Amino acid sequence: MSDVAKDKSQKREKRTGKVSSEGSHGVKGNTRTKDSISTVSCLTELGHHDENIRMTVTMENTYQMGPHKRFPVPAVTDILKDVLVSYLQEEKYEVEWSQKMTKTICEVIRARVKDLMIPRYKTVVLVHIGQLNGQSMQMSSRCLWDASNDTFASYSFKNSSLFGVATVYAVYYE
Amino acid sequence: MDDYQTEEESVEAAIGGNAYQHSRVNQWSTSVVEQCLSQLSKLGKPFKYIVTCIIMQKNGAGLQTASTCFWDNSTDGSCAVRWENKSMYCIVSVFGLAI
Repeated sequence: MSDVAKDKSQKREKRTGKVSSEGSHGVKGNTRTKDSISTVSCLTELGHHDENIRMTVTMENTYQMGPHKRFPVPAVTDILKDVLVSYLQEEKYEVEWSQKMTKTICEVIRARVKDLMIPRYKTVVLVHIGQLNGQSMQMSSRCLWDASNDTFASYSFKNSSLFGVATVYAVYYE
Repeated sequence: MDDYQTEEESVEAAIGGNAYQHSRVNQWSTSVVEQCLSQLSKLGKPFKYIVTCIIMQKNGAGLQTASTCFWDNSTDGSCAVRWENKSMYCIVSVFGLAI
């Protein structure tokens, strides 16, 4: 009946250069109350997880009080704008296509942010593509972090049949 | 990241049993996120958190969401909870980054 497709896919990459572990998407629990349904999904790691815990890298003190180079929010906003516009400009919303497109756009944005080579910053990229159907929606986020070092950049794009929102969160690794 | 229970409870507590109302959705999403975040901070772990919430009216429209992260796989993680009732969907995702 409903052609709503909700897909969530997440990918990870190790910063230290070790072999990246395989992740599988598993549904952990499904509870049904009287008139609401909630589903929980968590990414689970296979195999190498235990070894990684034992081999945690202990780093020496850098005596660095803050980031030498701050995260350039305007530059990243431009990247987001550029990517979203070029990928979504004349497109129409289709389920299969948009599933692939969200993942592709995510990867492209992450690669371009990495190219900026900002040391000691971890990044989280979120992309949402949705159909315009007269519905209303609200997206919000709150973060518990160090406000002097951590920041985010966000851009939203709309055409006649779809909308796209991209957000990048940058967190300083102390 | 196995505190999805916290998330689920926060969502249920904040908006459970309500029908979609445009005027109130802002307040709901703020309260969902704030409750989530306060529960997470009570855990007292050395993590920075990012909590995202999307509330969407049920209208037959489709939505795709993807996220990719550049972090340390052994210490950082994320979790997502999807909740729905007859008139709306709510997706809450939590990212935890070790400091």
